[in-house]
Amino acid sequence: MNRTKKKINHGFQRYVVYAIVAILLSLIQFSLLNFVEVQGITPDLLLILCVWIAIREGRFTGIIAGFLIGITLDIVSFDLVGINAFTKTIAGFVAGSFYQEGKEQLILHGLKFLLIVFISSFIHNLIYFFFYIKLSDITFVSFFLKYGIAFSFYTTVFAVIPMLIKRKERII
Amino acid sequence: MLQLLNLIVKFKDYAALTLLCIISLSLISIGDVSKIGGYRAFVVGTIGWLEEAFSWVPNPDALKTENRAVRELNLYLSSELMKSRKALSENRNLRELLEFKEGADYNLISAEVIGKSVIELREYITINKGSNDGIDRGMSVRTDAGLTGVVVVVEENYSLIETLNNRQIKISAKIERTGIDGILIWSGSKYFNMMNIPKSFDIKVGDELITSNYSRKYPPDLPIGKVVKVDEDKSSLFHKIYVEPFVSFSTLEQVFVIQFVNDPERLELIEKMEERLRLLKK
Repeated sequence: MNRTKKKINHGFQRYVVYAIVAILLSLIQFSLLNFVEVQGITPDLLLILCVWIAIREGRFTGIIAGFLIGITLDIVSFDLVGINAFTKTIAGFVAGSFYQEGKEQLILHGLKFLLIVFISSFIHNLIYFFFYIKLSDITFVSFFLKYGIAFSFYTTVFAVIPMLIKRKERII
Repeated sequence: MLQLLNLIVKFKDYAALTLLCIISLSLISIGDVSKIGGYRAFVVGTIGWLEEAFSWVPNPDALKTENRAVRELNLYLSSELMKSRKALSENRNLRELLEFKEGADYNLISAEVIGKSVIELREYITINKGSNDGIDRGMSVRTDAGLTGVVVVVEENYSLIETLNNRQIKISAKIERTGIDGILIWSGSKYFNMMNIPKSFDIKVGDELITSNYSRKYPPDLPIGKVVKVDEDKSSLFHKIYVEPFVSFSTLEQVFVIQFVNDPERLELIEKMEERLRLLKK
């Protein structure tokens, strides 16, 4: 009985940590990311968090986390309300599809995590920018390269940081 | 019923995905949700504080570009000043002759840019002046070069400016030389596109664009940019006009908030008219 209660408490604490990390990442995303902007491309830190949660907690939680992170971002980012909620819900679903019970830690500190971030980010970006870019203005190839590949690649580069932290934790 | 519940539980991932996607898409279709300004104002305050704390980090590339631009502008202004003085006295004489009123002059509030937020394809800047300094939502922002953006959120000591290089922005502009009006939108690159100008209209490379009198958002006659390219697409009835803005959005350091909010009576009239048209459509 006690063990179950402890387990629930531990789970609850983890969700509180996710919420705090989400708030901190939103602030960084808004205020400090212009220092690392390259040709208008910035990494999506909240997407990395969304993928992290989906891999750690499963697809269902990933979908809910994606929606909550997205809607918060919509409210504070002056964006079209609903667009981040929509795209991040899908990203949470995609990332959660890679969830393997009992192998969460193995995925999080391995290269597979980066691959999942890239795939989720790629799908997220294609949908997100589809709402913003008029395809008649640019060719499909440049749309694919810039908004699909370049944005996703840059986000993946930043996903190396949590992966390395996780790896270090494991070694310690 | 129980079977249905069991089915939903069994496929809860897909059910959640479908439900949340429907909610998101409904929110997108609603569009303008400007009532959530309170949350946004809180965010601006926090972000402004954070950005001010990190504003000491220099950006050498921006400084270099800014210096070059200032030198060029200085040279240009000194020659323009001479012309302007002459024109001013001529203008005064002519106005007296025609008994015209003086053109409206707006009060400008100088502010420093303390931060820039790039969220996907949209840019916002944070300035160190807010409602305590007389800034209000909807006021336009300019630099010495030209129109820069519009104030979207105001906190006591900080404000957030939506710059022109933003997909959602549409500017009612006119060609200064000919007075032709059109809508200016950001093309996603370094240029803006002027829309709906028929091919029969006279547009030349080098034509300068200013804000139009029809604009609901911006005061008239603010410089915006100049035409750098005019494409003639045979399949279209309209010109494809590329406009380069006068303002360098990547190197903004000092801006001026124009204490001008469009006449509320005029806005009310337009809103009433649009409401009527909507009802007629229904």
